[in-house]
Amino acid sequence: MKKDQLVIGGKALSSRFFLGTGRYPNPYVQNQAIEASGAEVLTFAIRRVNLDEPEDDSILQHLQERPFTFLPNTSGASTAEEAVRIARMARASGLSDWIKVEISANAQTLLPDPIETLKATEQLVQEGFTVLPYTSDDPILCKRLEEAGAAAVMPGGAPIGTGLGILNPYNIGLVVESADVPIIVDAGLGSAQDVVQAMELGVDGILMNTPVARAKDPVRMARAMKLAIEAGRESYLAGRIDKRRYASASSEYEHLIVK
Amino acid sequence: MGDRIIVLGGGVIGLSCALELAKRGYDVTVLEIGTCGGQASGAAAGMLAPYSENPEYADGFFRLCLDSLRRYPAWQEEVKQLSGMDFEYTESGSLYAVYHEADLSALTARLSWQQAFGTHAEIVEGGRLEQLEPQLGQARAAVYCPEESHVHAPDYVHALEAACRKVGVYIHEQLQELTLTDWKNDIRVHDRAGQIYEADRIVLCTGAWSGSWTEQFGFSVPIYPIRGQICAYPVEPSMLRHIVFTSQGYMVGKANGMLVCGASEDIAGFATSVTDRGIDRLEKLSKKVLPFLNRMQPTLRWAGLRPATQDGYPLLGVGSEQPRVIFACGHYRNGILLSPVTAAVVADLADGHVPELALGAFQPDRFG
Repeated sequence: MKKDQLVIGGKALSSRFFLGTGRYPNPYVQNQAIEASGAEVLTFAIRRVNLDEPEDDSILQHLQERPFTFLPNTSGASTAEEAVRIARMARASGLSDWIKVEISANAQTLLPDPIETLKATEQLVQEGFTVLPYTSDDPILCKRLEEAGAAAVMPGGAPIGTGLGILNPYNIGLVVESADVPIIVDAGLGSAQDVVQAMELGVDGILMNTPVARAKDPVRMARAMKLAIEAGRESYLAGRIDKRRYASASSEYEHLIVK
Repeated sequence: MGDRIIVLGGGVIGLSCALELAKRGYDVTVLEIGTCGGQASGAAAGMLAPYSENPEYADGFFRLCLDSLRRYPAWQEEVKQLSGMDFEYTESGSLYAVYHEADLSALTARLSWQQAFGTHAEIVEGGRLEQLEPQLGQARAAVYCPEESHVHAPDYVHALEAACRKVGVYIHEQLQELTLTDWKNDIRVHDRAGQIYEADRIVLCTGAWSGSWTEQFGFSVPIYPIRGQICAYPVEPSMLRHIVFTSQGYMVGKANGMLVCGASEDIAGFATSVTDRGIDRLEKLSKKVLPFLNRMQPTLRWAGLRPATQDGYPLLGVGSEQPRVIFACGHYRNGILLSPVTAAVVADLADGHVPELALGAFQPDRFG
């Protein structure tokens, strides 16, 4: 049987869970939650870290011991130009040449600006970055980002931090159907059922932060999400039964009759 | 005389609760294994900054912090009067400095909800920022929050202790080890020397050492120590006018001429040692943010243990199956700020009143 392996930008990943490093109540809980999640890819806002001395950074200093893949993001950028500038700074620091393009034009919804996101993706691909754009769940736009050279495309389930879940499962399904690169649902999920739903729609992975970091027990929630990703993936690959209008007995009576 | 109440722990929370309870007529005894204010309370930089510490949203914790800030002017005045001691309380305002264009939308989002809670905070940049804080290096912009202030934490705690004694609180220190042997029918605490202390109720203000209550009460009390290292430079008192926050740490100038820079958040168990790496990091940060420090060396360095909780919120309330036990612990970075409101809430609970603030998020046995 072929191994079910997620590969992004030529890198084989051990986990389908991409975890954000913001908003945890303290570094101890953060470390425990990362450990419990099994995540290999960690994301953080470039504007918030100390790029001159990453080993001194208030968050990154706690993540030195394990070989994580860092996915720095351009959050706060409102234009392609700004996102490109931030991405270059992150790469120059030696942290990573992976970049999550995140460009919001609206401080209230933080919804991604599709036009600027596409522009920044084109530019950063040309410059040799491994680009993972955070985008709205429009199937045509997701395809265009793929064609621009995105290593993976990351449609949102709902606006960042809202916990509203997958607002448009139909769209996410279409995105998956036409994709030739991995699709990661990024943002808007709230609980394990949203994760399972996304994975059953066939996406390749999940990126989240707030639902874990702000849970009452972030460590336990990290584990719950990890299990949900595994369960959803297995269920997707196993192939679900058709839905029926009426009951069909799962065992026939005949074999119960004492002979 | 009212009921007898034991306050376990003589940090800023314990002493504030003891003072408020004694003022309301209770017979209060503080039991402290070491020295009052000897841990996080004495190590704190004393910032009173609910807006800067809660940039995300208006949850119950933000409201608790804000309520406490508003109590400070009267509270600190009362502590000074009762104790006959003075301590620094400076309504300096704060600057939350950012260094990237990309930070501006987050600042805008923060102000858009915080302004509804009474702050006159605004985003300042360029000449206006330079005018407010001439020594600040090249920050892109800052949130100027005029309402935030700071106290000299060690002096404040000394004054609290003196005030407690003046109003008749018994304070027993250096008890080394305290065991709660009865909390069901009565309150009974033993110290290592075999002395027994009895009361009708107990307030647990045991800071970073509160995790041990898990076994006692049979529900999870996920509190653990996070070490904060701090250093300080001797400067002219007027060199820094505001509290300066960045994503990497803060700086605050005290009236005694010490410019304090903090703080690390180390996972180091109960070790209160200072490390070269921890202090180097703060030194680099402070010199970058305030270039005039480049010619100087920090002359003081110290560390304290903050009581961190699993969800970031304190435990504040009466146990649902422990009616004699009031929890007031796990204040993490905000113990100094939260001391007046915690004292008021604890005293209301002792009086049998329902506090005005919503405490649901702080229920002591919420972790199951």
